Amino acid sequence: MKLFAIPRQLNEADETLRHEILTSLRSAQNADGGWGFHAGAQSRVEPTCWAARAILDSQKNTDSEAVRKLIGFLRSKQLPDGSWPTTDGTDSGSWVTSHACALLARIPDCKKAVEAGLQWLCDDYPRDSSPWRKFLKKFQTDTHIVTHNDSYRGWGWTPRTSSWVEPTAFALIAFGQAQSVGLAASISERRQLAISLLYDRMCPGGGWNCGNPRVYGVDGDALVLPTCWVLLALRDSPEHPSRALGIAWLQQALPQIETAGSLAIARVTLENYGIEPPAAKRNLSFWSVQEIVEQGAHVMAWVSMALNNDRHWPSVFARNSAQDGLEAAQ
Amino acid sequence: MNQRKRDVIPSFARPLSHVMIRKVACYQEDLLAVIFESLSEFHLPVKDKTVLLKPNLVGHDPQGVMNTHPAVIAATRESFLKLGAQRVLIGDGPAMDRDTQAILESVRLKDFTGNLGKDFCDLNIDDVERVVLETHATRLKELFLPKTVLGVDFLVSMPKLKTHHWAGVTLSMKNLFGIVPGSCYGWPKNVLHWAGIDRSILDINAAARPDFAIVDGILGMEGNGPIQGSPKSAGVLLFGDDPVAVDSTACRVMGLRPEKIDYLARAGTMLGHLDASKIHQLGESMASVRTQFSVLPEFHRLVAP
Repeated sequence: MKLFAIPRQLNEADETLRHEILTSLRSAQNADGGWGFHAGAQSRVEPTCWAARAILDSQKNTDSEAVRKLIGFLRSKQLPDGSWPTTDGTDSGSWVTSHACALLARIPDCKKAVEAGLQWLCDDYPRDSSPWRKFLKKFQTDTHIVTHNDSYRGWGWTPRTSSWVEPTAFALIAFGQAQSVGLAASISERRQLAISLLYDRMCPGGGWNCGNPRVYGVDGDALVLPTCWVLLALRDSPEHPSRALGIAWLQQALPQIETAGSLAIARVTLENYGIEPPAAKRNLSFWSVQEIVEQGAHVMAWVSMALNNDRHWPSVFARNSAQDGLEAAQ
Repeated sequence: MNQRKRDVIPSFARPLSHVMIRKVACYQEDLLAVIFESLSEFHLPVKDKTVLLKPNLVGHDPQGVMNTHPAVIAATRESFLKLGAQRVLIGDGPAMDRDTQAILESVRLKDFTGNLGKDFCDLNIDDVERVVLETHATRLKELFLPKTVLGVDFLVSMPKLKTHHWAGVTLSMKNLFGIVPGSCYGWPKNVLHWAGIDRSILDINAAARPDFAIVDGILGMEGNGPIQGSPKSAGVLLFGDDPVAVDSTACRVMGLRPEKIDYLARAGTMLGHLDASKIHQLGESMASVRTQFSVLPEFHRLVAP
């Protein structure tokens, strides 16, 4: 099968920036195998997952000392219930469980850890959509405050809170990337509810924010990062008019983006849909390594991923010749 | 190490608090002169100390009505340096947008402060330390708070003068929601909503104990705040050594009754002074600056007669 790739050609400045970011990321790995948000900071699960993605994408060998150490770090932080905490010192799982599962799903020999994490996600129900809450809501008089459809259910940032757009998207991404791991049959209904929630929470005019499309009758503004996570989560879902509206919103927003992190994720999102990103106000190489490093390991990883056409996820969409022919005919 | 730990002193045992009201018509005025002069009156123990300014940075704000104005932040930073502070950090952990840098770009902070480098701290992704909550206002037993906040010598809360559609008003105490790290609790920090906004404000303030408050009320927000309200010019800056007293005074400037605001009424018993008779007011008189702010119908009970 012939494959076509749509990404722009990376220039020398891009390649240099990526190389320098990866060098900084590698040197920022802590002795325990994890990464903090900044060099020398406490190892945390989230920056570790992002840094690991960028580094794994840059090397074919998953058997290096650095990779073994990061796997060891993530294994050591998994809680007995299968989840991962946002920081040391807490015994409560969180949304970073999705990140850990999505990452470890691509590492051999981590199947059990991923299964346990996904099971925790399956069992984690936000409190706002519980039957009791729905019953109480029938007696609420201030229904004009928000306009959510509470029959849908996603995931919260932390257990026993409300469904929000980003953790819901992260969970869907994790389930998508861990398809090889056996999942409970009930998860397909849960996924469907989550997808419905994401469409329900779309801002008027397209795009997503944290999950407040309308409060007190006033439309909320969409934001770049939540919109990207949602679009990436919905990448393999059936076509939907709201998804198309979200993509259109992102295409319009991208030229105005003024930060490296958002620009990087916006670009990889559109490329994941096979769409050439429009010209931005600045190229990623506009920012110095130092400026990117100051924003944290996650932003370093996002920029590195955006400057890597061979990234594992979100992959640059490759179209086969049959698809091209079909589009040409249309 | 947690340097913010302080004993909770009941209000009846507290000395008078001090709040200063200054008239400032617009952001083009000589803010450095006004702020330096005002801070000097308080004889603050900041010489050779590390100060953290915690402004309210929320999001894209074309009308300049949502975020603490960068001119006020920059002039305050400069003033503390002139007062002898060794280092003046600026830090916030925005609640709704993870891209803190985008908010900084949007408010053009760098145009006013110059390049801050490591003197800006994104509190959402700072290292954290567990703080046991001893006030038990909520059912939360602990919060993970940024080490930068817990480690500074002097913490200044710098809110915008705004109404708030859940809490009534958002001022220096509510502003401390921004020290709760998103990397632990998400965007928004929903665990605080479930614990109860009013009571969470008490727990956070009791844990972090801000030393001083400066309210940007030159241009405030009324109605459906803190994001979607309307601009309201009040033409004031408020300064004070007791966040409860500053917020109570700010409410009175807005034509609202602080004792009707749940978290302020509770804070008035343990964290500072609510009662005007316990607040030594400096600067302008209340009558000369009072500007009625409109509130959502749910909050009509707050409006002073």
